[in-house]
Amino acid sequence: MNSSVTKSVKTVKKGKQSAKNDSEIPWLKRMSLKVFSFNFLQKVVWVIFRTVLLVGISYIILFPFFSKISASFMSTADFVDVTVKLIPKYPTLDTYKYIIVENQYFKALWNTATLSLLVAFMQTMVTALIGYGFAKFRFRGRGLLFVAVILTMVVPHQTIMLSMFMKFRYFDIYGIFKLVCWIFKQPLPNLLNTYWPLVLLSITGLAFKNGLYIFIFRQFYKGVPDELEEAAYVDGSGIFRTYFRIIFPLTIPMMVTIFMFAFSWQWTDNFYTTLFFTTSGPHMLPNIVTIPPSLQVSFAASDLYNSAITNTAGLLIIIPLFVIFLFAQNSLVEGVERSGIVG
Amino acid sequence: MNKTASIPAVAVKKKRTQSLDSRKAMAGWWFVLPFVLGFVLLYAPMIVDSIRFSFNEISTTVGGGYTLDFVGWKNYSDALFSDANYVRILIASIRQLVLDIPAIVIFSLFMAVVLNQKMLGRAVFRAIFFIPVILTTGIIDSIDQGNTMMSYMGSGGIDTGNQIGGSSTQIINTLDITKFLGSMQVGTELVSYVVMVVNNIFDIVNRSGVQMLIFLAGLQSISPSIYESCTMEGASAWETFWKITFPMISPMIMVNAIYTVIDSFTSKSNAVMTYIDRIYEEPKGNVLSSAMSWLYFLVVILIIALVAGIMSMYVFYQKKD
Repeated sequence: MNSSVTKSVKTVKKGKQSAKNDSEIPWLKRMSLKVFSFNFLQKVVWVIFRTVLLVGISYIILFPFFSKISASFMSTADFVDVTVKLIPKYPTLDTYKYIIVENQYFKALWNTATLSLLVAFMQTMVTALIGYGFAKFRFRGRGLLFVAVILTMVVPHQTIMLSMFMKFRYFDIYGIFKLVCWIFKQPLPNLLNTYWPLVLLSITGLAFKNGLYIFIFRQFYKGVPDELEEAAYVDGSGIFRTYFRIIFPLTIPMMVTIFMFAFSWQWTDNFYTTLFFTTSGPHMLPNIVTIPPSLQVSFAASDLYNSAITNTAGLLIIIPLFVIFLFAQNSLVEGVERSGIVG
Repeated sequence: MNKTASIPAVAVKKKRTQSLDSRKAMAGWWFVLPFVLGFVLLYAPMIVDSIRFSFNEISTTVGGGYTLDFVGWKNYSDALFSDANYVRILIASIRQLVLDIPAIVIFSLFMAVVLNQKMLGRAVFRAIFFIPVILTTGIIDSIDQGNTMMSYMGSGGIDTGNQIGGSSTQIINTLDITKFLGSMQVGTELVSYVVMVVNNIFDIVNRSGVQMLIFLAGLQSISPSIYESCTMEGASAWETFWKITFPMISPMIMVNAIYTVIDSFTSKSNAVMTYIDRIYEEPKGNVLSSAMSWLYFLVVILIIALVAGIMSMYVFYQKKD
């Protein structure tokens, strides 16, 4: 902000000097002075307005996190005390301690981390391939297939929730499994409480927001000049070899971005994890959002206290993500900008 | 790699010489193969099943599997006429969405224009604006729904007048906005709209992260030479925005409007979605929820078609040379 203000001050000074040189035409001097001072004023007002706006909206975004952090250190006494607002009078670490110990935080963290890594990696690879197919090859039925991609994006998950559950509870593809199971006198395979449903959805590019990733990759590859591949083809390289040797390395920044999206959206996901993992299934991060037994107290502000506990659990869930975000945010934001989503 | 082996085989089988281009085009199928397989083997049956379930009663059998009893349009008529809340929630959420689209699109466009300017701490602001996209999703989003603690703490720093803990942490008061706009005499509808937007500013900021990124990408793809020639011709920043930036970004406005519709319709925090989730948990509610979500899907498609239809009339496409 300061630099732009000084810059505009400089331009004003320059304007005054040039006006002095043309002092034989007072009208021009007056006009130029007016223009420059008006510009200057406008600029200052705009810079102030912009800074206030950005700081204000940053405050709106960050404030919930601040209040959650402060509430996570509050003890029961703080919630009864009306004078306590943001800074706890009787700070305690009990909330963290009991959530970590009694809700098995680290076990959930490990499970979610492995699942998210696996799923995000597969989604990134597969959607990149699909996006490349849509961007660079004019095969028959491409338009129709892309409509199918859009369809997977538009249909809400809730619409196919029941059939998805049934599909993986009694896993069957066009009666093939049914036949095999009937021959061997086995019940239909139950894929719930395993990673298979998410893996299957990921390697086929059907999981959460994968349509969006395919779209982004398609736009990205459309921006890659065809001459690159043509040169490789002329040199006798096959289509797959060209992709993995020439195009793939170019894609890595974009892939980092998509990987971050896929990873963090899988990390915080509670639709698929609650749908596919029942209570007897693997312990996932959304499962830690319950009130630990040691913290179940009833007093005047217990609603508030319980809410603070779930919020603390939420904080514990996003802390690892936030650390990753801090290190990766630059490549993340710039990756999307460079992607040329605009096409 | 193995492609080189299989392409001639295809060509021989068809007994017809294929040009390099069409052979290359065929290879496209190999790249999209995962999606084709997934769509044909998993997704399409799921869609069909879901439609089928919505016309049936479902009951699981002991021997592994489930049985369906055809009930015709019963689930649909139940959803529309018997259920007390569905239609009301649906209409309220559509109304809310129609009001939200302009707010989100205008806000994200404005913020993208601001964040695109050179200034001190731009990277920091961009990082902060991007936080909701990564962090406030899924489980965090559902924790934030009906968050007693946040309403106690004063979420987003706006006093809506119905908080438990007084207004010590608030920066804006709703009454002030109403008074301020009321004195400008701009009509009560606009006043209530602006008040609604300001009340929901936290929500709107949280939901415009991706849109902002799309706009940023769009803004950076506009050639600087156009702006340069505008400055040379003496256009002001205001004129440049409306005559250059706005038409050039208009395809992005359409994309974002549609993205906003999809995003808010499929998001977990959507009132209809929450309601359908709740119905799903009820006994015998799973088929009813299928019927409800198909009705809902039809409405979504209708709204997307409307938005796309109206906006495509005004969208400006730069002819590519």
